[in-house]
Amino acid sequence: MFTYLASTFDPGLLWEYRETLLQGLQQNLIIFFQSAVLAVLLAFVVGNARASRSRPVRWMAICYSEFFRNTPEYVLLVWIYFVVPLIISKMIGSRAGFSPHVAAVLGLGVAYSGFLSETVRAGLRSVPLGHAEAATALGLSPFATFRRIVLPQAIRRMLPEATNQMISLFKSTTIVSLISVHDILYQVSVISSSEMRPIPLYTGVALLYCLIIILATYLLNRLTDRWRRRGWA
Amino acid sequence: MSAIIETRDLRKSFGAVEVLRGISLSVAQGTVVSLIGASGSGKSTFLRCLNYLEQPTSGAIIIDGDVLEATPASNARQDRKTITRIRTKLGMVFQQFNLWPHMTVLQNVTEALTQVKRTPAKEAAEIARHFLQKVNLIAKQDAYPSRLSGGQQQRVAIARALAMQPKVMLFDEATSSLDPELTGEVLQVMRDLAQDGMTMLVVTHEMGFARDASDRVLFLHEGRIEEDGTAAQVFGAPNSERCQRFIASSLK
Repeated sequence: MFTYLASTFDPGLLWEYRETLLQGLQQNLIIFFQSAVLAVLLAFVVGNARASRSRPVRWMAICYSEFFRNTPEYVLLVWIYFVVPLIISKMIGSRAGFSPHVAAVLGLGVAYSGFLSETVRAGLRSVPLGHAEAATALGLSPFATFRRIVLPQAIRRMLPEATNQMISLFKSTTIVSLISVHDILYQVSVISSSEMRPIPLYTGVALLYCLIIILATYLLNRLTDRWRRRGWA
Repeated sequence: MSAIIETRDLRKSFGAVEVLRGISLSVAQGTVVSLIGASGSGKSTFLRCLNYLEQPTSGAIIIDGDVLEATPASNARQDRKTITRIRTKLGMVFQQFNLWPHMTVLQNVTEALTQVKRTPAKEAAEIARHFLQKVNLIAKQDAYPSRLSGGQQQRVAIARALAMQPKVMLFDEATSSLDPELTGEVLQVMRDLAQDGMTMLVVTHEMGFARDASDRVLFLHEGRIEEDGTAAQVFGAPNSERCQRFIASSLK
């Protein structure tokens, strides 16, 4: 029993395949960063649109965030990888498609921009209107007011929630193996089918992910703590 | 004396509600004008129209020679340059202070100098310190606003407006959200400013200030100027009965 348990987590196997596994992890990290950037950019566009004065713009933004918030990431990923190329091919009349990598970034980016746009909207709304008015009254342009007064405060309010979403985005990067991106989980499945010892590998990946997220959360919390010590945020 | 602020038949509606019903006013340089009246009489809206925080529905504003005509079709975008110029000539102090919590006291004061007037950082800091000295808060220059009392915050807000070296200061109920024991320090700064010859438009419920510190008092009622005269006239012998009643009830 004991020896069996010990053999379930045998770091030797992880060490043996460290290079392949790290290459896989590198894919996850790249996809994470690219889709995070895409998600944040889209979230700001949509989050701002939700605060727009124009009703149609507001409605479009609501539809966008509701659709992507409530559709499973995996379905989105498959949809973008398999269905969108078909539609585009029909439209332009010749074969078109994405690489799995591009589809992964698009799928995750769009999926998380739905969640994040809510966070962005709430963050922007949390900044008292008077702060922007004071800037406007002093002659700051609308853009300068947004960039210098509203945004820095909004970002600080968004950060705790955005951190949570970034954590789940990072976890979600493991589903990209399902559209054959050569990420860490893809490598694990390849290795385990040749080694016939899946348990240490999957356990190792689980622990690795856990470790990375704990570390990143710790660093981010230290940053927000510093802000709190300065008496605001 | 030349008028530094002039409005001609200024009107403002929010939807179907007309809040300002034609205000024509001319204020000479160096005058301290107090605007009094019941809430909803349009005094705050009037101030906010002067620097286009609210866009007037119609009428004209002339500030230090800059003319802005509001027509129903006029687009604030077209007049943006004039609006910005006017805003730098009008310093505004709000009821809620509206200091920016993510910046230190000094940064709050230098922000508009560097962003709007493109003053070099060092020079901006010097100007800012000069005005912080004036409101007696130089010791707090590196503190964040949340560490200051309400009265101190409002004095920083006054320094922030003064640093732009405006021609006119607008006070929108600057002491209304302060505890009674803190209003004194803010009113004192305002009195000092008046002494220095600053042109001031003061929307206030502080009848003491209106009576003692202003050259001219306007009583607004339902978007119109109902009484206009020196403090002695308006407080001593107002023509309008409504003004009489208002003053009697607020001096109680």
